[in-house]
Amino acid sequence: MKNAAALRWIVVFAALAALPFFLSGYYNDVYRKLLLWIALALSYNFLFGISGQVAFSHFAFYGIGAYSVVIFLFQLGMPLPVAVLAGILVCTAIALAVAIPSTRLEGFYLALATLALAQLFIVVLNEGGAVTGGTSGLVDYRLPPVFGVRIAGPWYTIVIVVLVLATYAVLLRLDRSWFGRACRAVRDNPEAAAAMGINVARTKVIAFTLTSALAGVAGMTYAFVDNTVNPPIFGLENAFLLLFMVIIGGAGRHAGAVIGATLLYLLPFLLSPLIGHHHALVFGVLVVAAILLQPRGLVGLWRSSR
Amino acid sequence: MQDFLELAVSATASGCIYALVALAYLLMIRPTGIINFAVGEWAMVGAFGGYLLLSKFQWPYPLGMAAILAFMLLIGWATERIAVRPLVEKGAPLLAPILALLGMLVVFRESISLGFGPDPHQVPEPVDFQYLKYFMVGTTLAVFAAAWFFFEKTLWGKSFEAVALNRKAAALVGINLSRVTAASFAGGAAAAGLAGLLVAPNTSAHYLMGVPLAIQGFTALVIGGVGRVEGALLGGLLLAFAEQLTVRYAPLPAGYAQGVPLLLLMLFLLVRPTGLLRARGT
Repeated sequence: MKNAAALRWIVVFAALAALPFFLSGYYNDVYRKLLLWIALALSYNFLFGISGQVAFSHFAFYGIGAYSVVIFLFQLGMPLPVAVLAGILVCTAIALAVAIPSTRLEGFYLALATLALAQLFIVVLNEGGAVTGGTSGLVDYRLPPVFGVRIAGPWYTIVIVVLVLATYAVLLRLDRSWFGRACRAVRDNPEAAAAMGINVARTKVIAFTLTSALAGVAGMTYAFVDNTVNPPIFGLENAFLLLFMVIIGGAGRHAGAVIGATLLYLLPFLLSPLIGHHHALVFGVLVVAAILLQPRGLVGLWRSSR
Repeated sequence: MQDFLELAVSATASGCIYALVALAYLLMIRPTGIINFAVGEWAMVGAFGGYLLLSKFQWPYPLGMAAILAFMLLIGWATERIAVRPLVEKGAPLLAPILALLGMLVVFRESISLGFGPDPHQVPEPVDFQYLKYFMVGTTLAVFAAAWFFFEKTLWGKSFEAVALNRKAAALVGINLSRVTAASFAGGAAAAGLAGLLVAPNTSAHYLMGVPLAIQGFTALVIGGVGRVEGALLGGLLLAFAEQLTVRYAPLPAGYAQGVPLLLLMLFLLVRPTGLLRARGT
């Protein structure tokens, strides 16, 4: 049984890792970004779908991760492992500082406080001068060699595959532990959860901090995909997109996050010949339709049709 | 002193815009508890209505303004019908209509950008440009006076209050909940649309103008408190003065001034989520 599970993981990894070797440069780029969106959607699903916290800060933490690793590596000249650790530390510290006061906020008030945080992050990026590179961001850097080896092309895509699977493994493990059940209990009925001895505040803070740190790690990986970080990438648009991915796919289910991220990331490529850059209109309609007709998203649709 | 007076007038004018957006939120939050983040998009629709009727078709201002407000009432009513009522009737959690309205936000924005393109559009001012600010202040004060009269003196307004205080009890004494909800959304859309129309001569109508207005309006609401109509006005004015005083006198780069409403929003949400004015009867 245990071996079968391990075998399944290995097969999935092999399939995902082999794919980039058959893709040309452009499709490799699309594939990498799709994987990053899936990683983000998985951790956001844990925060929004499983813990029930509507936060708009998740994509900002992706940006904080990306910016901090680049700044630590190239502005402060740290070696790669130190820079990565420092980046994780920064994300965790900021997430904790935000989570401890703001997870007390009810429902959508948390969304607006984290929205303000995400916007404030953009203001700081724009005004950061030489440290953040201002409005044009930081460009012209390369991933330093790891043990003397330069990781590039399809090999870097494998790093992203590892990131996605590691994110999934961590979240799956958490979800199936007492902590995952505590998160669901807090989401569905905080009073009852507290009565059963769950520390509601602590559960919320841990869920927020952990998923935000995971978003930060994904951001660090992203920093070497385009080899540029700039403020528009981390704007509010993408924070909304992430929320829509999880809602359309099916909030609270890992498969939903994967399906939603894949669909909404790939849909613009199919739609752009038809409606140009206005694919967001379709996303908006899909979100309203999902909430009205099938609140459990595409996953729910599939389950109910069987 | 001259300098400060100019600043005070311009802060009062932009404070009025924030106050109108805050009023739009408040009209919907009080009876339903729904935070409708699409109010910024409604303001944008109002601004584009101004471009279409007043610039393109050259309608006289009062007629155009009346037509836009009527259209906004319709938009608010339709939004409630599409994205809110089915969920309320199904007994869905409160978050469901809020998220559906976020979807509507994107639908509004993309429809406008599809119809009018990404470039800003000029909207004419109702009066000579130097009196524009006074016109904004006067209109806003009239709206707030009307809203105050409505809530304090009319039976309809009382029924809104009753729903805000206790939905079940209000339904039991024969108040039509769905009618109150529909009216609150229609009124909210009209207030937001008016804000967009008034601010448009200064900022132009642009399809991305919605979200910043929605954030500023919500900050004003949180500062003033969701309990009372006067709170929205007070919050809007305080926010505008805080913004403009920082820009003028604080030794900060201009870009950081954009952070003032964001910091105030976070601060008030965390420290004083009930706002400065407390609701009646609590």
